[in-house]
Amino acid sequence: MIDLDALQAEEIEEILVTTDSMKEVLSREIKQVPALRGRTVVNMFFEESTRTRISFELAARALSANIVNFTARGSSVEKGESLIDTVRTLQALGADMVVIRHSQSGAPYLVAQHFHGSVINAGDGRHAHPSQALLDLFTIRERLGQLCDLKVVIVGDILHSRVARSDIWGLTRMGAQVTLCAPPTLLGPSHYWLATWPNIQISHHLDTALEGADVVMALRIQKERMQGGLLPSLREYSRHYGLTPERLARLGQHTLIMHPGPMNEGVEISPEAATAPNSVIEAQVTNGVAVRMALLYRLGG
Amino acid sequence: MNYLIRNGSIIDPARRVATVGDVLVVDGKVERVIDMAEMGVDPGPLPEGTEIIHAGGCVVAPGFTDLYAELGEPGHEQRETIATGMRAAVQGGFTMVCAMPNTNPVLDSAAVAHQVTALAQREGQGHVALIGAVTQGREGKILTEMIELAEAGCVAFSDAGRTILDAGVMRNALAYAAALDLPIMSHCEDARLGLNWVMHEGAVSMRLGLPGLPAAAEEIIIARDIALAEDTRAHLHICQVSTAAGVALIRAAKERGVRVTAEVSPHHLALSDTWVLGSLAPQPNPPPTPQPTPRGKGKSRRNSAPELGLPSWLDPTLLPPYDSSTRIRPPLRSEQDIEALIIGLNDGTIDAIASGHTPRTRVEKECEYGAAAPGISSLETALGLVLTLVHRGEMDLVNTVARLTEGPAQVMGRSPATLRPGSRADIVIFDPDRMWTVERSQLVSLGKNTPLQGQQLKGQVMLTMVSGQVAFRRGEFGMYGRGGPQSSKIAGIFGDVT
Amino acid sequence: MNNRKQILTADEMRRALVRIAHEIDERNGGLQDVILVGIPRRGVPLAERIAATIADFEGIQLPVGQLDITLYRDDLRRRGMAEVGKTSIQHDLTGKVVVLVDDVLYTGRTVRAALDAIADLGRPDCIQLAVLIDRGHRELPIRADFVGKNVPTSRSEHVMVHLREIDAEDEVLIERTKAEQ
Repeated sequence: MIDLDALQAEEIEEILVTTDSMKEVLSREIKQVPALRGRTVVNMFFEESTRTRISFELAARALSANIVNFTARGSSVEKGESLIDTVRTLQALGADMVVIRHSQSGAPYLVAQHFHGSVINAGDGRHAHPSQALLDLFTIRERLGQLCDLKVVIVGDILHSRVARSDIWGLTRMGAQVTLCAPPTLLGPSHYWLATWPNIQISHHLDTALEGADVVMALRIQKERMQGGLLPSLREYSRHYGLTPERLARLGQHTLIMHPGPMNEGVEISPEAATAPNSVIEAQVTNGVAVRMALLYRLGG
Repeated sequence: MNYLIRNGSIIDPARRVATVGDVLVVDGKVERVIDMAEMGVDPGPLPEGTEIIHAGGCVVAPGFTDLYAELGEPGHEQRETIATGMRAAVQGGFTMVCAMPNTNPVLDSAAVAHQVTALAQREGQGHVALIGAVTQGREGKILTEMIELAEAGCVAFSDAGRTILDAGVMRNALAYAAALDLPIMSHCEDARLGLNWVMHEGAVSMRLGLPGLPAAAEEIIIARDIALAEDTRAHLHICQVSTAAGVALIRAAKERGVRVTAEVSPHHLALSDTWVLGSLAPQPNPPPTPQPTPRGKGKSRRNSAPELGLPSWLDPTLLPPYDSSTRIRPPLRSEQDIEALIIGLNDGTIDAIASGHTPRTRVEKECEYGAAAPGISSLETALGLVLTLVHRGEMDLVNTVARLTEGPAQVMGRSPATLRPGSRADIVIFDPDRMWTVERSQLVSLGKNTPLQGQQLKGQVMLTMVSGQVAFRRGEFGMYGRGGPQSSKIAGIFGDVT
Repeated sequence: MNNRKQILTADEMRRALVRIAHEIDERNGGLQDVILVGIPRRGVPLAERIAATIADFEGIQLPVGQLDITLYRDDLRRRGMAEVGKTSIQHDLTGKVVVLVDDVLYTGRTVRAALDAIADLGRPDCIQLAVLIDRGHRELPIRADFVGKNVPTSRSEHVMVHLREIDAEDEVLIERTKAEQ
């Protein structure tokens, strides 16, 4: 499970159905089933991400798997041990599944070539974050009852976002209409996007993009983008691309507000928008555990 | 040892000769070329101890000249040594190789030049030509002692894989080189346009989330360097041109008389950025049979030479996604760029095919894509790859051989590699129809980094002769006559030559 | 398909279920706190039919739930991933009498998994088991409280329960595998 591009709509549908069952398990008093008893899952995090790591950890525990955390700062090259070496070591130690987070796009493919068990991508560089995309799909469908024909606007630092790429794969496969909205420097040339995803819309004006939107998904703006010269100021970004209280008022109650977290409140999203009744940001986090259970179960069974 | 190469299809671009015939090599020199017209005539008694090499069905050509290879020594012996690099070269048909100066220490002083010369004479199987650095330590700041480097044997100057970003320094370097009448080989990349880039910026980089280098990063340096060469009247050589706009700039400059030459590597000619997708790429379709088009404005389209055999194609889906063997500098570009490069090669805008041989170690390559060292080990696959394009009908065989022999020799300002009687017998014999499969572990180069692992190529070097001695022979090639007439397909190509 | 044999007709199935309904009623006098829990897929419609029958003659509508046991199976590693079904039990099971309903009782492993699953959901006073067919060959110390029909089988035979809710008709077939012929 490295990216959603490998999945057909039916397979995504199956995962969402399994997620539903996992969510029921999590609603019980005893939030644990023995499905993966005796299986060993290694959380291999080469990049800090407390949320995703904990989410996978809870998911593995709810399925009674043994979970071990392996956290390495910086790239494997700096450490002197190669990624391949690390993977071989974990294999020799008896790992059945690897969950990998890495700052380099494509690293999970390298792991998959050298690991005999299942590999789950927990986010690689700018490339993909399939479990996040699946939980987004699940949350949207849970609230709106469908994915097909919904208009979903993704706004923010799309160029550097693995979440955006996986969401585009997942949403378009399920028949949703995707609009990308970002300042030009955080998007790159439109035709490069359209070459892979010909049916998406691209806009540089958030207010136009939001017309008729069923879902708006704000992405995190990293402060270092300013130093790279990609943004003149956070203030300008926030006014033109942020989910401000004024935009929130214009949206209406039916438009879901989403954010993959962690949020920069006051930059890409205002505190009012984050806590609005139509915000499902907390539900995304909750559903994340169920989605990851479904992934672990399907790959580890 | 003397040799009579019999019944080969002789292609000697420098003399505009393409014929079936024999080549007699005596005392390290080409003694005589006997062409079809004279076949009936008794050549007279052969000199004492002449071995006959049966080359029926094969092309006999002057040994190839490579303008761009990294031979590792000194300092990067784990990547390549002069001994292994030159063994790889002669296996690939190259009898003369320009050694890039990105060694350690950098070839930026006469002392290092002397050291490499000594090494090459002791260990090398072919001829090694030295390229001196343009700036000290390849840092782009202070010029090297170019006059002394020239005296030590350097045939050109280059900062190998690095661009001199300071236009003032570049202008001074060109002025100095003009006085020495030697070319500056410029690597054209303004990396400020692609922070931490690892591949070509385009649809593929966007999909894979890899930092890209836009084509403009190459174009703006080519444009700048052309302006400076025009200004200084120096000979500017563009290394490893990879973009359509780059080709257009070079073409325009040549048309107005600027002394600019250019080279392209086989991988930039044949592989696009979809190779980074690996198995995520769409399955390749067999290329359509080329339609014969009327001759006319030759520049505006790919060449349509008669096909030599079945269409042959390459399959990027044999690789896993993000395979670090596809990481190269400059990056593999788009299909449109490839189209323009082939047109440029066919119309003479691009003078030479240079291997771009950049061997890398396993440690440097077996890691994350972004952490991998850029480079392709290409001396041994170069001919097979360009012949794939010939078989597809995109280039013609005679012109391809010219871009491997006469073209690069002219860039170096050396007398062209040729089979003219009296010239040094550097000769390659290759079978243009021989199918073979690239197997990484069988490369003699220490660099096993090739994206062509498992690909079927058509065309392989059978024998290479350096200064009249057999430097490489595949199996028992040429020892026994095949009997019967040679491949008529080969004879067919001669229709094009006037 | 002459290697298939009908062992229960629609009418026989109906009578077997009526009998089970009566036995459940007798065993749990008053039907206080009884909840029927079907095991997907075919245990669920069977539980619903039993509940309907009881409603007919006692006028009491028993609650019916369904319990998916996929995540409790002990053969995941051997047989690979199976689709997870739905578990839906609206009532707290603690203090209740749970009657598990399934179509065929064979090795007992499904029931074992169901017992584990129920233990995670609550603490019933008592768990009983109702099956339409008991074909023997138990691998665990498990026995049914209510049986529609006991059918002696060999391990190579296959028992198929068809229900109109799922298969369009009611019948039970026994099929001999090719190796047996």
